[in-house]
Order: sequence, then structure tokens, then C-alpha cells
Amino acid sequence: MSRLEAKKPPLFISEPLTRDAVSQSLSLLSGILKSSYGPAGRLKQLHNGVGGCVCTTSQSSALLGRLSLSQPVLRVLTASVRNHVSRFSDCGLFTAILCCSFIENFRSLNVAPFTVIKISKHLLSLCMDHLKSEACGCRVSVDFSSVETLVCLVRSILTSKPACMLNKTEVDHLTSLVLRAFLFTVPCHVGTNAVLGKCVVIPVKGGRVVDSTVLPGLLIEAPEVQLGKPLAVKRTGSNMIKIALFSVSMSGDGSSPEEGTIAVHHRVSLQVSELNQLLNVGRQLVKDEVGLVVCQKVMHPSLKQYLEEQGVVAVDRAGLSLMEPLGRVTGSQPIASIHSLPPGCYGSLKDLCVESFASKHFLHLIPGDTVICSLILCNRSETAWDELKRVCETAEHVLQLTVKVPLALLGGGCTETHLASYLRHKSCSLPASTLRDLGCSQTQYRLVAEGFCRALESVARALSHDEEEVLTDAVDRGQIMHGAFPENVRLSCRLVCLFFPALLRF
Amino acid sequence: MAFRDVNARRHIGLQQLSALASTGRTFLGPVKSHKFIVDEITKQSTLICSAVRLLESLDLTSAVGQLLNESIQAQKKEFRTGMSTLLFLVGAWSSAVVECLQQNVPVPAIVSVMSEGLNSCCERVQCLQIPTHDVKKELCSNRVRPKASESKTGQAGRDALTNPWDLLCFQRDISATEEVIPINSCSHQGDDCNFNKLLVSPLAGFGSVASFVKAAGDKSSPALSGSAVTASSCITRKLTHSRHFSTLGKGPSAGQQGSFQGHLSGPPADVCGCCGLGPLAVALSHGNQSSVKLLQSIAAYQQERAEGGGNSQINIEEIVTCCVLGLPESYSCVSPGFVTLVSPEQASVIKHFADKPLRVLLMDGDLTEGYRHLGFNRPPNVRTILEHPSPQGRAGDAWLSRTLDILMSFQVNLVLVKGNVCKDLMERCTASRILVVGCVARDVLRAFGAATGARAVTYLSQLNAASVGSGAWAELWKSRDGRAVDLGELLPARISAGGIALLTAVLTTALPCKAQLLEDQFWTLLYRLHHALKDGKVFPGGGAVELLCLTHIQALAEQPGRPGSDRAVRELPSPWLAEYKPIVLQALASGWRRYLAVLLRNTARAGSELEAGASVDRHLRKAAACGSPSAYILEEFRRGGVLGSGSEPFPEQVTGLRVCDNVSAKTEAWRRALDLVLLVLQTDAEIITGPRGHQILNSPVSSEFMFL
Repeated sequence: MSRLEAKKPPLFISEPLTRDAVSQSLSLLSGILKSSYGPAGRLKQLHNGVGGCVCTTSQSSALLGRLSLSQPVLRVLTASVRNHVSRFSDCGLFTAILCCSFIENFRSLNVAPFTVIKISKHLLSLCMDHLKSEACGCRVSVDFSSVETLVCLVRSILTSKPACMLNKTEVDHLTSLVLRAFLFTVPCHVGTNAVLGKCVVIPVKGGRVVDSTVLPGLLIEAPEVQLGKPLAVKRTGSNMIKIALFSVSMSGDGSSPEEGTIAVHHRVSLQVSELNQLLNVGRQLVKDEVGLVVCQKVMHPSLKQYLEEQGVVAVDRAGLSLMEPLGRVTGSQPIASIHSLPPGCYGSLKDLCVESFASKHFLHLIPGDTVICSLILCNRSETAWDELKRVCETAEHVLQLTVKVPLALLGGGCTETHLASYLRHKSCSLPASTLRDLGCSQTQYRLVAEGFCRALESVARALSHDEEEVLTDAVDRGQIMHGAFPENVRLSCRLVCLFFPALLRF
Repeated sequence: MAFRDVNARRHIGLQQLSALASTGRTFLGPVKSHKFIVDEITKQSTLICSAVRLLESLDLTSAVGQLLNESIQAQKKEFRTGMSTLLFLVGAWSSAVVECLQQNVPVPAIVSVMSEGLNSCCERVQCLQIPTHDVKKELCSNRVRPKASESKTGQAGRDALTNPWDLLCFQRDISATEEVIPINSCSHQGDDCNFNKLLVSPLAGFGSVASFVKAAGDKSSPALSGSAVTASSCITRKLTHSRHFSTLGKGPSAGQQGSFQGHLSGPPADVCGCCGLGPLAVALSHGNQSSVKLLQSIAAYQQERAEGGGNSQINIEEIVTCCVLGLPESYSCVSPGFVTLVSPEQASVIKHFADKPLRVLLMDGDLTEGYRHLGFNRPPNVRTILEHPSPQGRAGDAWLSRTLDILMSFQVNLVLVKGNVCKDLMERCTASRILVVGCVARDVLRAFGAATGARAVTYLSQLNAASVGSGAWAELWKSRDGRAVDLGELLPARISAGGIALLTAVLTTALPCKAQLLEDQFWTLLYRLHHALKDGKVFPGGGAVELLCLTHIQALAEQPGRPGSDRAVRELPSPWLAEYKPIVLQALASGWRRYLAVLLRNTARAGSELEAGASVDRHLRKAAACGSPSAYILEEFRRGGVLGSGSEPFPEQVTGLRVCDNVSAKTEAWRRALDLVLLVLQTDAEIITGPRGHQILNSPVSSEFMFL
């Protein structure tokens, strides 16, 4: 039923950025983000206030994903940052804080927005050129022949989120696991189009972090498998295990979401005919020498029983997230119908065994040659586990990005302060031709550059909370690094270009 | 969306934590005070005696309360013990941290010093760990005690039990002169075995055992005296082959004589296998005598099964409990098989079975017409067309008679169902002398599957000859003195099968409100023993570990450099950190100090908390004055109790027990407690999402919040 409502007259708001409500919300948002930033960042408890689960976090993806903002302007900002995080996983808070600072700094300038945009674009290009040049002092090239830089990179990501509740030993352990997982995802034989693999995180909540481990291949939770019993799997002639992967529900309910009604004679049972169809599929699978059947959804108990009696291992409820890696590991095509088995849909495995972690039983699918691995991740509490999972995924992603661009930037506020001083230096000796091209005066340029630099520095300053001297020896702490940095600066500046028209033009 | 700043100097979250945790202080230590929880609306009350049950009854909708509950539940899920410690330390540490904040200590300093301090303490206390086989060995060492040989059999056993550690040192002296051990162990073996028997088996006869044990000793003496077996190797092995335990496993009807004979021909190492898990269970029980007996019979049964496998572990999955109300608590015992409460109608079916072997069917869902397996969605758009109205009766009748036909055709006598059972079907089955039991745990089904060869099915249509098991039997459960229990509505029945691994701890009590307490206590002790065996080591209890932590922190605080070898602290500018280190370490220490003080207070060894604190300090000074605190503490522990050597009597001495604690459960409880406190400490804002945020906007408390 559609609802009709009298149309309200459109409401036009001019100069949204100058409104009090916006600036209050903006400063509150930037306060939340700044206080969460860095390894000593403060945590936020996110919950629904009526007894739902509590998420303790200082991660942009968790924070921004749950904040509901009343101001459209801020929604644009957070949407852009989330988009960035979905692409690069890292540096969400950095981007968001920089955005907020840019807006706050530029808003108070008495310079036409068009000019501000032009100048800041120029400043951005200066930054980018500097970061790309060999002369840049805050750039570290990632050496894949030794593990040191990689360890540094991973460790600085792991320690950047205190809500993971890791101690020193645990950080070391996880660092090595994340690196091993990354190495598993790099293909051994690189052809013309090498594709990096994937690390699947398997949750074991409530365990000790040091019990986490990484295994090549995939793990599927199988609560009914018993540890003591040896797993008897049928193998094909070439000693491989044939696997069939079903993405369709095999529960036998004949779920057809289409509209309309089916009229059935009372002697006819749809369920029985559906089950017969399933059993036909089962017989076909047995005939085809399949040794392992994995179903994304539920399998009918009768089918399961039949398959097990025929010596076929059957696992259901594998879940959507495992389907893509399952297909990659085994080379099988997910079967989407129980009425026909397409030719060549089966995959193969080298071995299959049972593993157990913290009273959970898993089937371990061992392929011949794989770029897929499973990270069995343990942490003591639910909220710390969630945080740790996001952090580990970020670390994996950043490592993969460094394969593309093997460069990292110094962390701990180094890069930001370095860039700020570089820009200040440059803006002093700007050739008159540039000013003419930009169509602005020297003073205007200086004003905007100063705002730009202060925004950069405010990100660095956000690392320290409660006037703690975290920044004192940034050179010592230069081991902290960011991956994918240039994209952040670029995005923040792009956002500025987006926002500035809003400042005065409406 | 509402947003509340929690991080003033007086951190609200930490205050909430310490307020919540302060409710559980009486649950600390072996002497716990019970609490009545009264529902103000319904006026219903429950009796509780543990941190978990307390939190279950508290309103925990606040974010901090939920995190606390999450931590406690996680600890419970893994260890079933240490929850009260966790709760107490959460409270103690959160108030200590608030004091640090008031002294302007920066948050990162608190976080890094406290977590590294705890790490360092956990490493330090490793030297106190006692291997479990040493604890078990204690019993044997008692044989050489003159007192034991003088006293009468039963008495000797009890003495040996009450002071298992007395001879730790003594034993060492003796092991230097190897010859002494075998001789003594043989000459006193009868005594020890008898007492062990006493403890282990309420079922077994006394006299007959004694005579056989003597025979065992006689037979073994030549083998031992010749070889001068070293104490440890002999003792560790005997645990897995304890003949006394194995006799129990044969059940009350099995001929004890025969089983003893069988074991006499076993390896000589078996001969001094008189000490099993008894001392360990006693030490871990913290004074809970009744559960110890149950545990020892469980250990006996399981070791009998594991004979040959040789691992001395407790298999928790093969144990279930059944509460029987109306009998005194002394009637609690362990029965092999599955004991459950059945209706009088079902009981009459059981009586009719007599000793007949039953064919058993296992169902892993509900046994009702409408039941479909999990994940089956009923299609909403199917319409059934009836051409003419069915002539006979209700539609359900067809299903009932079909089901009954299937059961009859496979000659099934016993159906164990994981879920619910259709009432009508239950009646029809009872009439046809088929026993149907519903709500059976998955582990029970699994055990019956393994013992009878039955395979669990979801639908009766899946049934084939291979999935029906055989060889089960059922009887009414009888108490120790042979009295069948008839308590009105429900009767305990015992369903079993040949070679079944399942054991039921039947917990009897005359007070219905105590049933849950007893069950909780039983599981706690069972898990303690399980984890002690898994860890392979235990901590000396009674505050020994905490006292060592205190001495260690003192040493750390006095150290000029960074505490221990913690590299994380190095990453922070050290002069900056050094300034705060003593304050923060004191805060960490105050948690354990208060723990010990409350322990003394709860066990009535100190009249007031002040007195208790003074007593702790006195022991601390003594330990520090002695060159090696750990040696001092171990020594004190052997002598009678760490905190007990002062003027006040140590209750463990009064009851004659010495206590041990689980290693991993304890250190994990510390870690979880500190993690929670530090997590809340680092939190500076609470963000309320969803519709509740809008409610707050329009409520009087909206001034506390900011809105985005």
C-alpha cells in the first residue's frame, strides 16, 4: 500500500556551513574523531541504550558506520570517508580529522571560496609531487626482501587501536601471523596476471590471543564432526577429493519466493517430491565420485544421511562469506540449482582433515596449491575480538596495497608536520607567475596555505591526548607507519573542493 | 544520536564498575555468604552464592554492566571458576585506577604500567606452580609418616588427606635414601588404600577390599624391593592404572574379587597405584566435601575406561547431572548411564521392561508432527486441495498411528528425543510399552549412539535397520541403601547401555532452593579438576600467589629502571613514565591486597578489614625480609597456609584441608579483570545509537548529552 502525504514546500538553506547547528555538530564530530586517533586514542562505547551489545572502539569504520548524523553536510563527509575506508581500509580517522580541520580552518578565512579551492588544489599538488619525489624525507621504501619494514608496518597498525587489548607478546604473535597470512596469499608461480589471494578470518571468541594461528586452505565449522573418528573420504583415481559446492538451499522446503499460489492435491506432498529430487542429486553426486559436499545453506537431514551412508562427507551452513574463497580454493563452480548439475562444476582438494580450536570443530580443506588461508583469530572478549578482526583485516589489506606501491610514510605525526613545514617554505618563495595563474594575491595565498598547514598539524596534534608527551621523540617512534597515505591527502582535499562551494555560494 | 562524555576526573564508567563489582565481595574465598535475590514485583526470591548468578539477577543494561557481564560469562564458559575473583578484582582495580586519575596520572601511563605489571607478575608466579602429579603424590608420601602407620585404617586415610603437604619436604629427604620408599610403601599400603577406598567409593564394601589390597601389597613387595623404583616414575604411572578405581568401574554387581585378581597380574608399577585424583580434588574443592566424593567416583569410572589409554583427564562431555529432590544430600552419588526424571506412567513402562535389553532410537529434533529441521522454511503460497472430506477423525491421528507403526516395525522400545515430544504420541507409546524420553542433551544422545550403535535421525522416515541401536536397558534409580525413590510426580530412572561412557551425577537435596547451588558447585569443582589436569599444574591456594604478586610489585616499584624486561614501556619516554610508575604499581598491588584482606575477613580470620589489611602487611614484610619471597611462601604453604601462621587460626587447618587453585583460570581471571578495567578507563564517551537517542533528546536527562 502506498502512502500519500501532502508535499512539504522545499526548504532552502543558504550557506549551510556557516550555520550554528552545523558548526556545533562539526566540532563535536571532529572532537569525537580526534579523541579516538592514534595508539593512545580514547575509546567510544557504542550501544543502543536498551541492552544491545556494546561496541568499544576507536576505529573509523565502526564509528562512522553507526553514527546517525542529523546534518546533511556531515553525512556527505562521513559517506566520503567510509568510501575511502572501503577502498583502502586504513587511515579513516586521519582522513576524517583532516576534512574537519580543513572546513574549520577555511571557513574562518575572509577569502572567496573559489580562490580557496584553487589555492588548496595547488597546495595539494605540491604535497603530492613532494611525496612522490625521492627527496621526500618522510618516505620509507618497503623492502620485500627483508621482513623488518613489513613487521614495522603491521605492528604499527595493530598497536594503533588500543581496544584490541593486546600486550607486547600478543602483538608480536599477531604480527607474525598477519605476515604469514599475507605470504600465503602471494602466489608462488606468477604468470602474466598474478592475483593476490585472500585471508579468511575464523572467529574463536573468548580464547587467548596467543592461541590464534594461521593455516593454509580453508576451515569450515562442522559441529557434528567428531574429533576421535578418522575421516573416511572417498577419493578419485588421481587420489584427489572431488568436491561439489552448492549455493542453493538443500533443505527441501522448495522455497520459491515468487508471487502466486500453488494448489496441490492433498495426496501429493511437495515435501516428498522435493526430497526425492534432492536424493536424485545425491545419487548423481555419488555416481560422480564426489567425496565432499558443501552447502552454503541448510541440507535436508535425509540427504545428509544418504550421503554419509555412501561415504561422502556432507557439510551444510557454510555461509555466504566462505563461498567465494571456497570456489577459489577448490576450483569448483557453486551450483545454484538442485535440478541440474552443470558439467565441470566439481572442484578438487588434496586432503581433508578435522581440526579443533577451543572446543570448536572444523573441517580443514587442504588444496594442492593455494593463495587462500585461514586466520583463526582469538581474543578474550567479544568487543575486543571485533576490534581485532577489523585491525587484522586492515593490516592484510595494507600489506597487499604495499605490493602495488612499495612505499610507506613515517607515522607518529612526522609526515604531517613535515608536509606542513615544506608547504610553508614553498609558499614563501612562490613565483609571481603561479599567483597570476591562480588569480590570487600573495596574502590570500599565505592565508590559505597557513590554514592548510594548520589542518595538517592538527592531525598530528590529535595524536596526543590530555597534553601527554607522545610526540616528544617522533624520530624514535618513526617506526610507526601509514600505508596508502597519498590517497588520504588527496581525498581530504577533494572533499574541501566539494565543501567549499557550499560555504558561500548557496 | 546521543553522545555522553564519561571521562571527567571522576570517571563515571570506572565508578559504575566498582559499584557493580562491590556486590560480589562476599563470594570470595572458601567461606561464601549466600544472598537472597528478591524480585520486588513478584516477591519471588532465589538463593544465590556465586558471581555469575548474582550478575544474572542484576540490571545490566548500562554499557559498563554489559561489558562486565560479558567478561564474567566468557570466564564461566571457559573455566567455570574464577568468576568471583574476576568480579572482585574488577571492583578493586577500578577504584584503584580512579585514585590514580585523581592524582593526575595520565591514562597511557596507567594502561602501560598496569598491563606490563600484570604480565610481569604472571611470569613471576610461575615458580609457585606445583605439578599435579606432585599433588597426587602427596598421598603416597604419607605412607612413610609414622602417625599414619600407627593409626587405624580409616583414620590413617583421613589424616593423610587432611595434610597432604606435610611431608613434601620430608619426602624429599627420603627420596635420597631410595630403599626406604618401597619398603614403607608396601608396609603401609593397606592403610592408604583403605582410606582411598573410603573416599572413592560409597558403594563398595569395606572389608573385602581391605583384604585384597593386602594381597596386592604382598605380591608386589618382591618386585619393588629388588628394583628400588624411584618414587616419581612409579607414582605418576600408577594413577592411570589404579586398581582401586578400576574395581569401582565394574559397577556394584561386578565381582570385586575377580577384578582384583585381574589387576594383580598387571605390571609392578601398578602396585603402588593407590593414589588417584583424590588429593587433587580435595585441594581444589576448597572445602566442598560432598562434591569431592562425586568427583572421585567420576575419576574412578573414567580411569577404568581409559585403562590402556593411560591419560588421566576428566572428560567433561561424558558427564551430566540430575537433581533429585527429597533425599538428604548425603545420598548424592554417581551412576553410570543416564539418570533422568520420568513420569509415573513412564516408570510403569520401565518396570515392565524388567531386565530386557532394549532397542533404542535417537532423535535429534522434536518428535511432533509439525516439526521440521532447522532452516526449513514453510512455503507460504501452497494451498492443499481436498477433493472430499476425509472420512475418519482428525488429521493428526494418521500421523500418530503411522509413527507408532514405524516404531513397532523396528521393534523400538526406547526413544531418546533431543527436543519436545508430542503429548498424544507419548501416551500412545506408553500404552504400547515404548519409553519415550524428551529433552535429552546432545552429549547423552552421542554417548548412547556410541554404546548402542544407534544413529540419530531427524525424521522417522529416515529410520532404517542400521540406525536403531540395541543393548540398552532401563531401571528405576535406586539410592545407595537400595531404597527406590518415590517422590510423587517425577521419579528418577536410570537408562544405560553396555559399555556406555556416560556418567550421571545424581545430586540429592531436601531443599529445592539448594538444587541449583549444588549443581553449580559440582560443575565448578569438576571443571577445576579438568583444568588442573589439562594444565598439568596447580597454584598453591589460600592467598599464596597473591602474596607473591604483592612482594613482586614491591620489588618492581623499588627498581630504578623499567619494570622487568617489558619492552612496551620503553616505547614511551621513560623519564615521563618513571614518575608515575610507583603510583600505578601501587594501584595494581592494591587489588591483590584488598583481595587478601577480604579473603581473611570472609573466612573470619580478621575481625575487620583494617585488621585484615594489617595482617596482610605483616606477612608481606616477613616475605620481603626473607631473601627469596617465593621460597618463603612455599615453605609457609607447606607448613599450614600462607596467611595462617600468624596469631589467627587458619580455617583450612581447622577443617584440615589445604587448598590449590587452577593456574590458567586464575591468571586468565586477572587478565580479564584488568582488560575490562583498562578498556573502560580508556573510554571517554558513550555513544547511544538508534531510536533511544531520540528518546533521550526529549527526556529530562538530555542536558547530560550532546547530539550530533
